[in-house]
Amino acid sequence: MDLAAAEAIKGGLLVMGYGLAAVGPGIGIGIVAGNAIQAMARQPEAAGMVRTTMFLGIAFTEALALIGFVLFFLA
Amino acid sequence: MEQVILAEGCDVAEVTMCAPAEVSELFEFAAPWPEIAEWFTRTQMLILLIPVIVIGLFWLALRKPKLVPGKLQMMVEGAYDLVARGIGRDVIGGGYEKYVPYLLSVFLFVLVGNVYEIMPFVNFPVTSRIALPGFLAVFTWIIFVVAAIRKQGLAYFGHLIWPPGVPLALKPLLGIIEFVSTVLVRPFSLAVRLFANLVAGHLMLSLLLGTAGTFIWAWLTNPEIGFGKGALGMAWFVMGLGIFAFEMLVAFLQAYIFTLLSAVYIQSSIHPDH
Repeated sequence: MDLAAAEAIKGGLLVMGYGLAAVGPGIGIGIVAGNAIQAMARQPEAAGMVRTTMFLGIAFTEALALIGFVLFFLA
Repeated sequence: MEQVILAEGCDVAEVTMCAPAEVSELFEFAAPWPEIAEWFTRTQMLILLIPVIVIGLFWLALRKPKLVPGKLQMMVEGAYDLVARGIGRDVIGGGYEKYVPYLLSVFLFVLVGNVYEIMPFVNFPVTSRIALPGFLAVFTWIIFVVAAIRKQGLAYFGHLIWPPGVPLALKPLLGIIEFVSTVLVRPFSLAVRLFANLVAGHLMLSLLLGTAGTFIWAWLTNPEIGFGKGALGMAWFVMGLGIFAFEMLVAFLQAYIFTLLSAVYIQSSIHPDH
């Protein structure tokens, strides 16, 4: 296999790796946001607290996708 | 090195999107005044401008404070309120006043650094260079570790490695997890979250809008390349505008999350039993 083909395959693998890294956090953020909306709808007076906690949850979940994104460039 | 690198070597007739050969080209700039100071880059200039902008804005808004605030005063007071009450008081709780100056500074610094991304003619988020979020994360780390040592003494590290109130069999395992997550993962994820969000935003904006500009300009100056390329440029432009609006949200949200997480870490240091 020549070098150009190897490079092309490597690029494809990198993109696939990022795609895989995005799956889990995507599902996770969906769960976090969905449950936060449910909590806010059930208890509108707690909306402020729920929103803060939701952002925290999203931030922690999202970190994995972002690390995948950074590795995409580092590799 | 030229400022506009993207359009160079982009064969409009061949490709559907212009991309530089090396992604880091989008994050490096030539020195604005090479004859005066070669080491002084555009990124450094933008970083030094942040405090000037923040202090200027506060001075403008609060030089004659009114009981019924105007628009600018309202905005500045809103930012203070968000950080001091929304983050400081509600997250840290008792003894939060001491940390408000740091939280407010870091919030405004990161916010302006992020907003550079969508500011016309600047269009470069300085927080997308890892040195800046890395430094801020290390600073947050120092603050919450020092706060914890002041509050609990060196027992803080002891509690990290050998957590009290846990069954003996679980202690080593939990201790390792706790230690690694507090000492290593916290600053790392804090820095990488901000950095990667802004890198992603800058990449999307510069690729989409840069390609759109190149294509539309090529079509206007040289209609022979066909209407298809012009239409493609318009499509990229519309998509870029959508991302632009999204990045406004991201710029604010990332500054907010950085401050919020700093506050959460400080809270876990000074109120360990919560």
